[in-house]
Amino acid sequence: MSVKAFELVPAVERELLMGDKARINIECIECCGKHLYVGTNDCFIHHFLLEEHTTPKGKLAFSAEKLLHKYLGLKKPVNELKAASALDRLMVLCDNTVTVVDMVNLEAVASGGARIKGVLSFCVNENPVNGDPFCVEMAVIAAKRRTVQIYMVYEDRVQMVKEVSTPEQPCAICLDGYFLCLALSTQYMILNYNTGASQDLFPYDSEEKKPIVKRIGREEFLLAAPGGLGMFATADGISQRAPVNWSESVIGAAVCFPYVVALDEGFITVHSMLDQQLKQTLSFRDGHILQDFEGKVVLASTKAVYVLVPLPLERQIQDLLAGRRVEEALTLAEGAQRNIPKDKFQIMYRRILQQAGFIQFGQLQFLEAKEHFRKGQLDVRELISLYPLLLPSSSSFTRCHPPLHEFADLNHLAQGDQEKVQRCKLFLISYLREARSTEGANGCREDVDTALLKLYAEANHESLLDLLASDNACLLADSAPWLEKHRKYFALGLLYRYNGQDDTALQLWARVVDGELQDSTRSDLFEYVVDFLSFCSNLDLVWKYAEWALQKDQKVGVQIFTRRAVTEDQTGQMSPDAIIKYLHPYQEATLLYLEHQVLDRKVQKEKFHTHLAVLYLEKVLSLLSQSPVPDREVTEAREQLQNLLKESSLYRVQLLLGKLENTELLLERATLHGKLEEHDKALNILVHQLKDFPAAEHYCLWASASQEPSYRQRLFHLLLGVYLDPEAAIAPGDEHAHTVAAVDLLNRHAGAFDALSVLTLLPEAWSLELLRPFLSGALRSAMHARRTSQVALGLARAENLLLKHDRLKYRGGPVLVSEKKGCQLCHNTFTEPDCVCLPGGVPVHTHCAAQRARNSPRKQPSTTPSNHT
Amino acid sequence: MKVKSNIDIAASPLRVSKRRVPRAMSDSGKMKKPDVKLVLLGDMNVGKTSLLHRYMERKFKETVSTVGGAFFLKQWGPYNISIWDTAGREQFHGLGSMYCRNAAAIILTYDVTNWQSLAELEERFLSLTDTANEDCIFAIVGNKADLTDPKALEAEEMEAEEEGAEQPPSHPASPTVLKQVKREDAIALYGRVLRYKAQDERACLPAERMCFETSAKTGYNVDLLFETLFDMVLPTILKKRSENSSPTVDLEECRGAKQTKAGCCS
Repeated sequence: MSVKAFELVPAVERELLMGDKARINIECIECCGKHLYVGTNDCFIHHFLLEEHTTPKGKLAFSAEKLLHKYLGLKKPVNELKAASALDRLMVLCDNTVTVVDMVNLEAVASGGARIKGVLSFCVNENPVNGDPFCVEMAVIAAKRRTVQIYMVYEDRVQMVKEVSTPEQPCAICLDGYFLCLALSTQYMILNYNTGASQDLFPYDSEEKKPIVKRIGREEFLLAAPGGLGMFATADGISQRAPVNWSESVIGAAVCFPYVVALDEGFITVHSMLDQQLKQTLSFRDGHILQDFEGKVVLASTKAVYVLVPLPLERQIQDLLAGRRVEEALTLAEGAQRNIPKDKFQIMYRRILQQAGFIQFGQLQFLEAKEHFRKGQLDVRELISLYPLLLPSSSSFTRCHPPLHEFADLNHLAQGDQEKVQRCKLFLISYLREARSTEGANGCREDVDTALLKLYAEANHESLLDLLASDNACLLADSAPWLEKHRKYFALGLLYRYNGQDDTALQLWARVVDGELQDSTRSDLFEYVVDFLSFCSNLDLVWKYAEWALQKDQKVGVQIFTRRAVTEDQTGQMSPDAIIKYLHPYQEATLLYLEHQVLDRKVQKEKFHTHLAVLYLEKVLSLLSQSPVPDREVTEAREQLQNLLKESSLYRVQLLLGKLENTELLLERATLHGKLEEHDKALNILVHQLKDFPAAEHYCLWASASQEPSYRQRLFHLLLGVYLDPEAAIAPGDEHAHTVAAVDLLNRHAGAFDALSVLTLLPEAWSLELLRPFLSGALRSAMHARRTSQVALGLARAENLLLKHDRLKYRGGPVLVSEKKGCQLCHNTFTEPDCVCLPGGVPVHTHCAAQRARNSPRKQPSTTPSNHT
Repeated sequence: MKVKSNIDIAASPLRVSKRRVPRAMSDSGKMKKPDVKLVLLGDMNVGKTSLLHRYMERKFKETVSTVGGAFFLKQWGPYNISIWDTAGREQFHGLGSMYCRNAAAIILTYDVTNWQSLAELEERFLSLTDTANEDCIFAIVGNKADLTDPKALEAEEMEAEEEGAEQPPSHPASPTVLKQVKREDAIALYGRVLRYKAQDERACLPAERMCFETSAKTGYNVDLLFETLFDMVLPTILKKRSENSSPTVDLEECRGAKQTKAGCCS
């Protein structure tokens, strides 16, 4: 398929040029601004003013006004024309001679110096090396001399600056900077006329076809190659673009970026330089000349002149997009980047990318579409608006005009294919997610988040909750009905909560928990609500729903209070006292709450401890009053009670003792007696009523746990006494049991007893063997104690001795001072009896020692000044 | 109809990235200046265009005889590598040395089922490489290996599975065409190429590494060939960059240098 890139518009009709004179043909043309010069084979130059205007139909048209025509006075054709507008000069090649004429009146410049003879062809340097703006550089092929000459053309004279010879006769020439691009008779070459360096390009046959050498840009040329190719070559002799495949018989070629336009006998062909493809063919008979002048492509048949007008790039691109040729359109747009101002290009290119994205989106090529949307910085709402009902009704968005695509909405696009719809929705989800995480959603976060919420809810997508739980901008008014419609009540609650409507959220959730509404999102919704309440800072709300929660399940409901973070405020609504008061009707909850306070938080408050103990007790008693008695639960409940009674020392013992008076809870009573230090009562209960000897022994250990060893000894003796008490009313079988228990006790805790007093207590009848472990244990510990103290005594003595030794040693011998003896520091003799003794017993003057100490303050000698007489 | 891979949105990113992005998506690669040039040379019908197409587009398709030449830009890490596909036809022979000018690597391609195609490399194409870089790397590549080598056929089955197998993998028919060019012949040619270029055989890359047998049809060894060469031309790019950077006057740098030397004047 082709592109309509150009339009052929007539510029100068036959009538204006030669009328009906059949033998007169156009030989060459030159276009400079609005000035068009035409050279004919009858040695005339015609000068036209070319005006551009738009027809009522919107088409571009030209009208030519003939200004002048001038006969050069020879019978030769005018071969080449070239204008130098800066100089107001026109260079004319006729009869192998270049003459310089005035651009306006076409009269030859007066001086004879402005003339070059023996010229085959010439060209002007469009990338001049000379800085002078009033000087044109020109390269000339000398006829039959295998040389190229470089001239400087001034207003009134020409001056040759260089002459280079070529290996073969050149037949076409082009100049850029110092680089001459030449078509020789068998090959093309690049020649640097400044350095003389040359570079062969490729061979061709000038006999077979006319060469084409065309400068297309800085140091780049277009050449006609064998096989109907248009080859590109840089001044370095490298091809940087792939060749285009035009026809074998090309007469003229030009580049009108991004197209290569070529003329052959019957057609104008247009190839893209970007992908080398043929894009357009225009029929053009008797084509003769194709040349570009300052970006304008002008053609001539033998009789008339035409302009090849490029269609606006945007229109070409839109044509391509309309044909869904996305890649070509983008290539064309990218290729045009250089020729369009940057900001304008950006706007255009973005729009093309967006359009391309929608075309691919319509073809479900999501990956490509996404890439194009991203690069085109598409307003996300353009995409969202394709999906019915996704944009919030409050959104101010309207689709861009003209529209970026042809779709009314998703249903139109999918044509009823539900699978397609589904895939499009999945795409939108992934697209919006990415848009959220990047800058893409700037300025329309509400729309994006609301749309995403709706998609998630509809697709039952797990990310719905993540969206609502994180920072979001979902619009409540728009989302709520949607979530209700899809029975996403939990999510709706989250949305309410996010919008600060905790009460509404709780109301909704309570209805779900109560089974009024159906939403299976969370099976543990009740726990969630309780957890929520435990964190909720709105206390009114907490009280409002606490009752509902406690009625639903005390055990879970109480977590509202137990999980709540501890506040400093101990008197307000959330003080433990207030809570306990509130919880009163809910026994289980009260118990759990007190447990939390006493056991977990270790609150040291008599009231709580007593209350908890009483509750434990009541629980045990109520369990015991059941029939049959649930053994396991009783054991559990008693263990809890016993633990509390043992561990805590804050509860009111007498109160509990009173409550236990007439119960069978003997162990508990013993413990309470122990708390009151009524150990005899406790042990009596344990030994005589309960007959639980290990418990009694354990009791001794427990009661003395944080006491002196002597306290423990006292308890053990007490227990032993209880065991051996002959007075106590013992049942006949018990006596033996008590004896065994006593022996065991002695043997097990030999070290804890005072052996001597034990021996006096023991009945005479007991065998030694029976008490052997006790006796040996007691002996051993007594022995150990004795030896330990002996060692300690010995060590203390030794230390004392050492100290004495040191003391004597430091006292030292006598220090002698006389008038004959000199001071070690100043070497003067002593005159006074006062002296200071340095370590080692050396006597020095007191002032010498003081001076020394001053001089070395850091190393002050630790000598103790001592006076000796 | 070809079904594109992007049906499943939740497809793992790995799969997505594994697919080559189509040409138009590659950030208008055409506008970038290539850092280095690779040229495919060889007689007509040996499969130069198909090799390049297989590598760039990941598929094999019938191509028409290349007119003149074509080139692709391949982004390889931070570098742009231009790969020139030349026309094998005698008609375009004259253009060859221009394509080869300043090439960093040249892939001499022959057809394993056609002895003449190997001979042509030496007779016609070797002289075109005169314009290439002095340290140009040469690879000798025998294409159409799927016709003679069962191993090369297998590649297709693997590829087909990966692509989602639109058509059942073609029967593992034993290759029927006679292999005319042996690997040893290619290795010998590689030696002669180095001698022609007056490069020291011992200093150059060993022939075993530089002779490939490929199949554009099945993809056999195609990635290996191009990617081996890309890695080999990297030093050339670096060298070129450093050469290009030195003559450039960096005003910032200059000022810095002056400051450090200013000591004696102050």
